[in-house]
Amino acid sequence: MSDMTELAEPVETGNRMRDEIRSISNRARARRQVRSRIMFALCAVALLVTAVPLVLLLFQLFNRGLPVVLHTAFYTQLPQTPTLITPNATGGVSNAILGTLVLTLYASVMAIPVGVLVGVYLAESDSKLAATLRVISQTMAGAPSILMGLFAFSFIVRDLHVGFSAIAGSFALAVLMLPVIVISSEIAVRGVPHTLREAGLALGAKPHKVSMKIVLPAAVTGIVTGIILAMSRAIGETAPVLLVIGGGYINSWKPLDPVSALPLSIYENAKSEWPSLRTEVWGIALVLVVFVFVLSLSARIWASRKQQAR
Amino acid sequence: MAHVETKVAAPTKSPERGAAAMQLKGVAVSFHGRVAVRDCTFDVTKNRVTSLIGPSGSGKTTLLRALNRLHDLTPGAKVAGQILLEGTDIYRGDITVTELRTRVGMVFQRPNPFPTMSIYENAVSGLRFNGVKKKSILDEAAETSLKSAALWDSVQSRLKVAASNLSGGEQQRLCIARALAMDPEVLLMDEPTSALDPIATLKIEELMTELKKRVTVIIVTHNMQQAARISDDCAFLLMGEDRAGELIEFDTTEKIFNNPIDPRTLDYTLGRFG
Amino acid sequence: MSIVIPPPPDFTTHDEGLAEFNSASPSRSWYHYLLILASIVFAAMSVGFIGTILWNALPEFEHHTGTLLGGNGWQSPAGPFGGLAMIVGTLETSVVALVIAVLIGLGTSISIVFLLPRRFRNIVATLVELLAAVPSVVYGLWGFLVLAPWMLKTVIPWLNSWPFAKDLFGNPGQQDGQSLLLASIVLAVMILPTFVAISREVISVVPNDLIEASLSLGATRWQMIREVVLPTAKIGLFGATFLALARATGETVAVALVAGGVANVQFHLLYPGTSIAAWIATEFGEAQGNEIAALMALGVLLMLVNFGLSLISRWLVSRQRKVLAVV
Repeated sequence: MSDMTELAEPVETGNRMRDEIRSISNRARARRQVRSRIMFALCAVALLVTAVPLVLLLFQLFNRGLPVVLHTAFYTQLPQTPTLITPNATGGVSNAILGTLVLTLYASVMAIPVGVLVGVYLAESDSKLAATLRVISQTMAGAPSILMGLFAFSFIVRDLHVGFSAIAGSFALAVLMLPVIVISSEIAVRGVPHTLREAGLALGAKPHKVSMKIVLPAAVTGIVTGIILAMSRAIGETAPVLLVIGGGYINSWKPLDPVSALPLSIYENAKSEWPSLRTEVWGIALVLVVFVFVLSLSARIWASRKQQAR
Repeated sequence: MAHVETKVAAPTKSPERGAAAMQLKGVAVSFHGRVAVRDCTFDVTKNRVTSLIGPSGSGKTTLLRALNRLHDLTPGAKVAGQILLEGTDIYRGDITVTELRTRVGMVFQRPNPFPTMSIYENAVSGLRFNGVKKKSILDEAAETSLKSAALWDSVQSRLKVAASNLSGGEQQRLCIARALAMDPEVLLMDEPTSALDPIATLKIEELMTELKKRVTVIIVTHNMQQAARISDDCAFLLMGEDRAGELIEFDTTEKIFNNPIDPRTLDYTLGRFG
Repeated sequence: MSIVIPPPPDFTTHDEGLAEFNSASPSRSWYHYLLILASIVFAAMSVGFIGTILWNALPEFEHHTGTLLGGNGWQSPAGPFGGLAMIVGTLETSVVALVIAVLIGLGTSISIVFLLPRRFRNIVATLVELLAAVPSVVYGLWGFLVLAPWMLKTVIPWLNSWPFAKDLFGNPGQQDGQSLLLASIVLAVMILPTFVAISREVISVVPNDLIEASLSLGATRWQMIREVVLPTAKIGLFGATFLALARATGETVAVALVAGGVANVQFHLLYPGTSIAAWIATEFGEAQGNEIAALMALGVLLMLVNFGLSLISRWLVSRQRKVLAVV
């Protein structure tokens, strides 16, 4: 082989290289080792720094919010404005709690069916439409939530003459939830081993029956997880609802009535001049965070439990 | 499996043992208490190719990776026994792990050049890691090592090109050059040709025969014929009943393949299991 | 706060079982039509989303684009509506937040992948998810009621003790602590989980082979990270950066609560300011007619920036996959 004749005769150059390397002092080596340790120590510090805000935040939430949430009046009474005579008469947040439930319910009804179906379609189709929708859903998932509020205002509140209402807020939240549900549903359906689908087809079942009866049930866990996460997000969002729900001070289920919401009441009262309201706000925040955490953790647990069952 | 008798030509010089490059004494490796390989005692002679052979699972790779302390990366891994490099205990002696790895190089099963580096940068990466900065030295090392790996001719005009542009066999030779640039005393090779086509395999086997003039080569291979072709000494490992590998026999290749002591060795070389 | 959505897997391969959609088969079932219907609804909604905001903003763009992009000062209710302060504020807060988040996030990801024992990884992953799940209004609340006083009491005096601080940050002498800097810090905390989630993923899939090869050549662990792992993951890390930046630009209520709500171009970070999203949130309630159009126009700007950054991030993450596929 011709390239074998290129092998250099080793003796001199080889030793020079070896000498060069051997001459790397132990001190230089030690210095590099020390630098390595320092950099990793800095990385560990960064990890701690990441954990700090969450810990501090949780501490404040429980410290300031716990006394507030332990009164039943907090959950059952409508809000009141404190007066100079009754500076601590803040009432409760029953309207906001109900409002959040109502908004989430209506939004879910709008978003879940469409979202799951689109997600399934994206998982099962090769078409240009599917590819385009995929890009759209990923882009919309990261879109600023205030824009959903603008959309809902223009379309529902103004053009359809519905006015400030629960349905407007739900619409905004549905627009928010849809991309999340689409993406997670697609991932869930694609996560089903294709051998399952092939087995069904091999038995002679029609493709759409295989999808509905074999693949979808297997993807349910992932789909439900995605729905829970989407709901968790919708519950906590202020910006989409801020512009369109009207901040209603009554308890109402009706879609056309203005409602309040937990994040909205936090936003409205955070800068209040009344210390009692500023304290109450921590209680609302605590409720919100606990709610959202429970949902996130349940989604995680649900997802991993089913993984093990497989 | 067909019975293929592998005959090895009688060596041209007498198998007098020269100086030992590495010595293994009672080496055992365990992971979280479970023994993976044990009872390894043999000397690796300088400027010879020593192969570790045996069926899969017999601990050959595990043993090899102990020789450059790669198991330090694995939590729960423990290496017992003694491994000496030119008389120095590599685990407990007066040698840092980074220095050890400059003297004992490694080539892996799948070619793994650094994808973001050019051919040149790959070749000198070891030197750079160890603080060598002078361009003249790096240039010289690149040329020497690439020539030693029989790659210089085909790449000298495109040294700045990304390493991923090379074929599989060329990438592996680049990895060999990368290890050689450090001018190590020992070169560990973990099934270096198993991911390559036959022609690339042949080129690298020829390379090894030339390389042993300058480095001591220890190669793990599951290909008996390869071991018979290129190695001077052979260590045969087998998985025992407790699923731990152990050294069955160590001798010159000629003896292992033509006239082994242990019947299990004979069974293996005759292809009775594998 | 938004849920962190990890970059989706590479959806370009399909198996043959999907004949239903991928052949010109004449027997389409109702199932097929239902899915197509849902997709059309989704597509319509998305188009409506973009179109509605654009349509509403049109009057403003027709006549006042220059003012919108370059004017300082927002005069309700009749104008002129100058958006420069919001644009500058968005840039300032997002970029500063990004720098903080990337520095800390990179160190965090490296720790998670290379320092943490396997059993802790789950806990830390959960922690990051929880950080991401906290609603932005709660971060804003915390920022306003807790961090702002702390800034006033501790950070600002400390900053002022540096000689060049006053030139860089300004010396507000204001009493409530709301500032662009505070907004940047709160934003940094909020986008950190996004960055960590993606960068952790990108770093952990660097092949073990490369790590072992570099260590076998005598590299120290940090050299391995710096010379091999990070360069190999570089493109994906840029993707994570762009996505985190996109998130930062879109954050509304947290910035609204802590930035001070002042529509004036401001380069001293200790002074109050605003961002596009925060300004829309605060002004929209009282706005009429022309002002609504102007706010919608700001919304269009925000949409363009956010979508642009998202798409770039997407492209980068998919390029990163290709790098690893070649290895």
